[in-house]
Amino acid sequence: MDAYDKGSNARPVPGEPAAAVPVPDSSPPDGHETADDHKTSDGHETSDSPGQKLSGEAPARIPQQYGDPQRDDQRYDGRYDDEQYVDTALAGPPLPPPTGIAALSLPYQIAAALALAVVAVAACVHVGMVFLHVAPSNTVTKQHGQAIDEWIYPEFEQNWKLFAPNPLQQNIAVQVRADVRAADGEIRTTRWYDLSALDGAAIDGNLLPSHTQQNELRRAWDFFVATHDNANRPNGLRGSLSEKYLRRIVVLRLDREQAGGRGAVVQQVQVRSRTSNVPPPKWSQEQVSDKPIVRVLPWWPVSEADRAAGTRPAESTGTEASAR
Amino acid sequence: MSDLGHDPTGNPDPLGNHEPTGDRDPKPTPPDNHDRGPNPAGVPASTPDHHRTSTLSRDRTRTLGRERLAGRISRFDRSHRVDRTLAHAITRVTGEALGPYQSAVIRIGFAATWLLFLLREFPHREELYGPDGPWSWDLAQQLIASNHAFTALMWADGQVWFGIVYAFAVLSSFLLMLGWRTRTMSVLFMVGVLSLQNRSIFMGDGGDNVIHLMAIYLVLTRCGQVWSLDERRERRARDACARGAWVGPDRAGPVLWTVLGLVLAAATLAGKIDGGFLGGWRTIYWGLWAVQGLWWLAGRYGRSVQPRILLDVVANLVHNAALFVIMAEACLIYATAGWYKIQGTRWQDGTAVYYPLHLDYFSPWPALSDLLSASGTLMLLVTYGTVIVQVAFPFTLFNRRVKNVLLAAMITEHAVIAVVLGLPFFSLAMIAADAVFLPTSFLRRVGGWAARARGRLFSRLGRTLRTVPRPRKEPERTPETAERAEPPHVGFTA
Repeated sequence: MDAYDKGSNARPVPGEPAAAVPVPDSSPPDGHETADDHKTSDGHETSDSPGQKLSGEAPARIPQQYGDPQRDDQRYDGRYDDEQYVDTALAGPPLPPPTGIAALSLPYQIAAALALAVVAVAACVHVGMVFLHVAPSNTVTKQHGQAIDEWIYPEFEQNWKLFAPNPLQQNIAVQVRADVRAADGEIRTTRWYDLSALDGAAIDGNLLPSHTQQNELRRAWDFFVATHDNANRPNGLRGSLSEKYLRRIVVLRLDREQAGGRGAVVQQVQVRSRTSNVPPPKWSQEQVSDKPIVRVLPWWPVSEADRAAGTRPAESTGTEASAR
Repeated sequence: MSDLGHDPTGNPDPLGNHEPTGDRDPKPTPPDNHDRGPNPAGVPASTPDHHRTSTLSRDRTRTLGRERLAGRISRFDRSHRVDRTLAHAITRVTGEALGPYQSAVIRIGFAATWLLFLLREFPHREELYGPDGPWSWDLAQQLIASNHAFTALMWADGQVWFGIVYAFAVLSSFLLMLGWRTRTMSVLFMVGVLSLQNRSIFMGDGGDNVIHLMAIYLVLTRCGQVWSLDERRERRARDACARGAWVGPDRAGPVLWTVLGLVLAAATLAGKIDGGFLGGWRTIYWGLWAVQGLWWLAGRYGRSVQPRILLDVVANLVHNAALFVIMAEACLIYATAGWYKIQGTRWQDGTAVYYPLHLDYFSPWPALSDLLSASGTLMLLVTYGTVIVQVAFPFTLFNRRVKNVLLAAMITEHAVIAVVLGLPFFSLAMIAADAVFLPTSFLRRVGGWAARARGRLFSRLGRTLRTVPRPRKEPERTPETAERAEPPHVGFTA
C-alpha cells in the first residue's frame, strides 16, 4: 500500500469533473504532474513518477480529505490507517509514511515479524512438500515418504504426468454383455456392447464433452486395472470398490441401451477389454501389431446394490424401462 | 498502490512476482544506480523510466530529493545494501497485497471455469455426483472413511441435500466470479469444489485437479482488490464519504457471517466436519470465521489503529505467500509435465503428439486430427515445442520478455487442446492458471476494454429501455482512471 497513490486519488484530475473530488486545496505541490503521472511517453501506465515518490519533501502532501474528524465515525475500510498514523506519529519530518510492518509499534511489530516467519516457513514447506510429491522417487522421499504423504493427501494430491513419459498409444475399449431376463421370463445372453465406442461416438463433433462420456468409464477401467492382479483378484478395499463401481457403470449403460429389449432385467454381466494399438503414422516406417489384446473378466452376478435408481429393478419385470 | 508492478527501487522482487512490472524498458539506464545511496526502508528512488518522461520541474524535484536523501543517509556504509534490500522486501510483502490484477484474474478464471463446468454438467449431475450415481454414496463413504477428504455431500444421502449442495456450488462460484463478499465467497467456493470433487474422485481429470488446488489457495488471497463488486462498493462508500454523505453501516456482511456461523455450529454439533491433525477442517473453518469477526471488530471498535494495521499486515503476508504458492504450483505443473516427457521415447522421436490425436477418447474431430498429423515435420515441431516450452517456462520467469512469449505460446496451445483433444474445461483451468503470470499492463488494458464494452452495452440497453441514464460517468472505468479510483483494500467486512 502506497499512501502517495491515495494522495493522488484526491487530486483533481484533468478531464474528471471537480465535483467528484470536493477538496480543492488538496492538490499537493507536485500536483503539476497529474496530467502525465499515469502515462509515460510510450503509453505505458506508471504510477511511480519521481515527484510523487519523493513528495515526502512536500509538507502539504498529506491528503486533507482524510483530516476530516467526522470520518472517525465512519465505518473502517482499511484505507485511512496510514494517514491517521502519519498525522499523529510522524507529523514532523516529511519522511514518507511507513507502510506495512514499519507502520506498527514495537509489540505489534514483533507479532507481525512472527507472522512473517510462520507464513514464510509454511509457504516454503508446502512448496517443498508438493515438489517432493511430484518429483520422482528419491533419497528424501524414500526416507520421509510418510510425512510427505500425510501433508499432501487427500487435498493436495496431484499428478501432472500428462501423456508422460509416453502418451497412451492404445485404444482400450471396454465391452460388456449380459444375461437378461426378458419380459417373457426367458433368460437370454445379449451381444457385446462396446461402451467405449458409444462414449467415442458421443464425443465426436462435441465441443463440450461431458465427464460422463470422457472420464467415467475410462477412469473406472484404469482404476480397476490398477487395483487388480492379472488373475482379476482385487487388492484390498480399493480393489473391491473398483469392482462394484465398474459393475454399476455397466449396468447403468446396459439399461440405457435397453439391452435384451424393453423390460428385460440384467441378471449378470461380463466385462472384457479390447486393447488395440493406435496404427503408427503414415510417414513412419514403424510396424506394430494390429491384433487386439483381449482381457475377459468373469461373469458377475448383479445384485440390487449394483442398480442405480433409474435402472430397471429386478422385481418389476415388464414395467417401463426408465433409461436415463 | 494499485501498480505494484513498479518496484520503485528496482530491487528483485522477493516473491519472484514478475508480472506486475509494467512493460518498462528492460535496459536500465546506468546513472540511477550509482548515485542512489542506501534508502531507509520503503523510500523509493526513481526508476530508469523517468529519464524518458521527465519534465524539467520533475528533474529538479528529483535531484533535490536525492541530494537531501543522500545527505541524510550518507553515513551508512554501502554494505548495508543487503539489509536495505531485505528491509525493502519486508516492507513490500507486509505493506501491500501484490498482484491485485493477477489475483483477480485467477479468481475470475477459476470461478468461471467451475461455474461453466457445473452448468454444462447440469444434465449429468446425478450421474457424476448424485447419491445414486455409479459411484454411489455407499462406495464414496467407504473410500472417504479411508482418506478423510472433505465433502459436504457425505453429510446426508438424500436427493434434496444433493440438490442443495449443487445449487450452492453454482451460486458460490457465480458470486466469487463477480467478487461479491470475496473473502467469504472464496471459502464457500472451496467448500463447493471440494464437496463435489471429493465425492466422486474418479470422475475428474487434470482440469478438476487444478481447480481443486487453486480453490484452496484462493481462500488465502485478497483476490477481490480489483474487478469485483467489493471494490465497487468500497469505492462508492468512499465517494459518498468524500461528498460528506452519510454511509450506513454494512448490513449484509454481519448477516452473512452470523448465518454461516450458525451453519458451521450446526455442522460441528452434528459431528459432520472431520477433525484430524490440529483439528483439521473444523479448525480451518472456525478459524476463517473467527478472523472475519475479528476483522470487523477491529475496524468498528478498535481504540487504536494498530490492531487493524496488524491484521492488514498479516492479511498481506498471507496473500503474498499464497500468490507465491500459486505461481510455484503452476511452475511445478509445467516442470513435471515437461521433465517427465523428456524421458519418453515418443517425445524424443517426435511422434508423441500424434498418439493422443488418435485416441478415441480424445479425438472429437477425427478429420482435423488426421489433417494435423498428416505432416511428420509438423508433429515433430509441435512435440519438441511442447517439451521445450514446458521445461523452459519456470526459468523464463527471470526474463519478462521471454516469459511473455512462452506464456502466449502456452495459452495458445491450451486453446488448441480445448478443441482438438476435446478438453475445454481442462484447458480453461490451465489458461486461468497461466493468467497469474500475465503482465499488469496487459491485464489493465483488457480490463479497460471490458469496461468500455460493458459501458457501451449498458448505454445501448439503457437507450432501448429508455431509462434515465445513471448519474455516474463512465470515464472512471478507463484503465488510467480506474487505477486512481481503485481502493488499496477490499473491505474485509465480516
